[in-house]
Amino acid sequence: MPEVKLVNIVKRFGNITALRGINLTVENGEYVCILGPSGCGKTTLLRIIAGLLKPDEGQVYIDGEDVTHKPPEYRGVGFVFQSIALFPHMNSWENVLYGPTVKGLDKSISHRIAREIMRTLKTIDYSGLYPGELSGGIAQMIAIARALATGAKLLLLDEPLGALDPRIRVDLRYELRRIVKGLGLTAIHVTHNQEEALTIADRIVVMRSGMVEAYDTPENLYWHPKNLFVADFIGKVNVLEGFIKKALTGGKALVELTGGISIEVYAKGFSEGDKVVVAVRPENFEILDRSEADKPNLLRGVVTRARFMGDYYRYDVTLESGERVTVNTPLYRSEKIQVRKKGEPVLVRFDPEKALVYAYPKRGIERELSIEV
Amino acid sequence: MVALAVLVLLPTVFLASFPIVYFDEVRYEVFENPLVGDENLRMIISVLLFSFKLSISAVIIDLVLGIPLAFLLARGRFPGKTLLETLVTLPLVIPTSGFGFASLLTWTTVSGIGGWLGLGRGILETSATIPGTGIPILMLIVHVSLTLPYVVRTLQAKLVELNPVYEDASRTLGATSLTTFRKILLPQILPAVFSGSVLAFARSLGETGATMVVSGVRITAAIAVVRWEFEFKLGAAAFLGLILVLITWLIILPVELLLTGKQGIIKPPPLIYKTGLEKVFLKLESKLSKRGLRNLLYVVCIFAVAILVVIPVIVVGESVVAYWYADPYTGKREGGVVYQLLGPPNYLPAILRATAISFTSAFVSTYISVFLSIPLAYIIERYRFGRVLRAILKIPLVVPSSALGLSTLLMWGPKFMGLITPGIWLIILTHIVFSVPVIVETIIAVYEGSDIKLYEDAARTLGANPYYTAEKISLPVLKEGIITGAILSFTHSLGETGATMIVMGSDIPISALVVNMVESLAIPAALFTSTYLIFISMALIFVFRLATRRK
Ligand SMILES: Nc1ncnc2c1ncn2[C@@H]1O[C@H](COP(=O)(O)OP(=O)(O)O)[C@@H](O)[C@H]1O
Ligand SMILES: [Mg+2]
Repeated sequence: MPEVKLVNIVKRFGNITALRGINLTVENGEYVCILGPSGCGKTTLLRIIAGLLKPDEGQVYIDGEDVTHKPPEYRGVGFVFQSIALFPHMNSWENVLYGPTVKGLDKSISHRIAREIMRTLKTIDYSGLYPGELSGGIAQMIAIARALATGAKLLLLDEPLGALDPRIRVDLRYELRRIVKGLGLTAIHVTHNQEEALTIADRIVVMRSGMVEAYDTPENLYWHPKNLFVADFIGKVNVLEGFIKKALTGGKALVELTGGISIEVYAKGFSEGDKVVVAVRPENFEILDRSEADKPNLLRGVVTRARFMGDYYRYDVTLESGERVTVNTPLYRSEKIQVRKKGEPVLVRFDPEKALVYAYPKRGIERELSIEV
Repeated sequence: MVALAVLVLLPTVFLASFPIVYFDEVRYEVFENPLVGDENLRMIISVLLFSFKLSISAVIIDLVLGIPLAFLLARGRFPGKTLLETLVTLPLVIPTSGFGFASLLTWTTVSGIGGWLGLGRGILETSATIPGTGIPILMLIVHVSLTLPYVVRTLQAKLVELNPVYEDASRTLGATSLTTFRKILLPQILPAVFSGSVLAFARSLGETGATMVVSGVRITAAIAVVRWEFEFKLGAAAFLGLILVLITWLIILPVELLLTGKQGIIKPPPLIYKTGLEKVFLKLESKLSKRGLRNLLYVVCIFAVAILVVIPVIVVGESVVAYWYADPYTGKREGGVVYQLLGPPNYLPAILRATAISFTSAFVSTYISVFLSIPLAYIIERYRFGRVLRAILKIPLVVPSSALGLSTLLMWGPKFMGLITPGIWLIILTHIVFSVPVIVETIIAVYEGSDIKLYEDAARTLGANPYYTAEKISLPVLKEGIITGAILSFTHSLGETGATMIVMGSDIPISALVVNMVESLAIPAALFTSTYLIFISMALIFVFRLATRRK
């Protein structure tokens, strides 16, 4: 049963360093997503695990065995490509049969394996069709069947849903997880879509510029992101600048924001006078009426843009301090909810436990949030 | 269109009319010669058989060397890749007679490899054959060098265009690299293997310049055409030329029409899989797929290119230096380059005159060809019959050039129109016939690789008329292709021998001069002229690389 361990993987292409010392362990049976902006080295990392690329430094262990120098055909790893890559000169059946055949299995055994896996993935009806005749979703399912027919227990998926229609993409991601869990496989799934990662992964690796920024469960990444970059990458955040004015009891602190207003947040490990940033997700802001002006953590501002997004309203609000924030107001308590208009003065509020506080980044906020390091 | 038909298409097919119009003459010479009976016919058959044997062997070796080389160039990433690529293509632009002479020196004389190994003689006799086949080794070597680029370039282009993801997929599915090659790559590159082989075969069949230099006593069909024309056996020459043209037509046209247009993937019948040999193959491939073995194969192929292409060029250069003042072996001044050029043999004026003739004809024919090619490329891209036109235009590229030369000679010359006598003007007319296709092909390649169609349509929707569009939008973008084509055609024209020798009359250009020198055993002069010719071409290519790099 596969467990994957990467030790200090470094990969360079000419003078580009694509991976700068990756350490990572994926437990047996886990569904891990690798999430990161385009060009951060996700594909490179996956190809190194599969053996399609050799790292310049570091080791790859699969199941405790050092496979760093083992060619891909002997690693027993299933790889699913964004471009699907079904062999164009073979029909679906021949594609799925390819793995068992090149492994030198007897014909009857190969056929049985191919038939079983295609039944499991409900693709047997498409056996006779050629890749050009299949829809994207079906083609990718056949590509997955092809990867699994080799007997692989470790499935590597490189943006497997990236080439598909948005609607199919959503259906198929749950299907993917169901297959992996149902067959007891280990999966490493690369994506740059954070919603996809949040909804299907047991754990998520957040990468930036060839490094691992965070590795944790979706919930932890959402609620307790390790740093500002991760907070911003897993669902956007509004960033407000300020400094610690006073430590309060119960792990709380009073922060004075740029505009001079003081707010209450949970913040540990800071001393008075420290420069900090307070990050609040758009969905954790609420807009209040004038009548509720006595609540804590209130910021005044003016709506500069209002957009209807389907299941919520998105407002751009310019605060009195001049900072701009985005506020998402869900529609569930709607009907009665007052729709704000452009130019309307509003009060914006958040709960102390929903604000994330970080030390002010040394290189400035802009650079901290950028995908380069 | 009329100019095109008269200048380019007609000469290609004119040869066909000759044996019909002058049927008696042909019958007299080929079939019922009162003196020798059907001796000439038997000659024709034996010469053709020999040519086929030679060309097929050359193509087989081309494939053995060419497939790994193409793979290395398309997929590999290593220092010196551009150099290797240039070396492989060098024989396309080096004048063949010069190259033939360089190969002759390298293999059969003490100035070449034999001397380097301290043998005191060449390592091959000119007449040495591969035991049991009757194929002269030297001729085969030269033909492989000259045709290898066609196989490598065609395959390389195809491989570059193929997405390597299929190879990756196959590897992760458990196939070794050789199995992947057999089951995944081969079906996809088979059309390219096929068309590359056809090009190489046709080229080998028609090769004249180098072959004449290294032929010794054996003659190929293409050479026979030239010889017989010199011996005024026009009937026999035309008959043989026609057969050559027909063979080439028959090979090229179907391949062109079948393979262009369709995104050809050939599904091979599952022969191996069905017979249960599959497992044997898999085992063997897994043994041979070791990295070390693959690298060994690459090294062998690179080595072969070095021996075939680089060493002759070095040898010929080195020999010029060695022979500069005197024959290094006998010490005689009469055997030195300086004596032959400036002394009593006085080859220098001939060389200078030949240079002038070569450059003038290359320049004029290229210039005219550019103007014919631009509208032609446009017609091919815009109209339905363009594809057929394009296939027909490929013919001058692969038809044995001596046959083509004969055809132009017969058409324009005293026998038919009587308009132009052999000489520089006829050289120019002949060169136009194969320059136009070269330029048209490069223009089309650039056109299809760019978004011009998009720009053109955009310009049209903005209200520009077609002529304006062509002038302001298309031409500037196509400049790259036109320049490339012009330079290719210029170097081709400089080096062309087969057709040129037939139509040149007394205006001997430099490529033909080398052949004459070798035949009259003026070796030092031939040495100098070959080197001179090779280096001029290499300088042109260098300039060309510089000019295109800018992009
Ligand atoms: N074969 C290659 N040659 C050169 N650079 C490469 C190659 N593959 C990837 N890179 C570079 O490595 C970095 C990471 O690429 P990749 O792993 O494909 O990113 P991702 O999959 O996260 O989008 C990029 O800067 C990319 O340009
Ligand atoms: Mg990628």
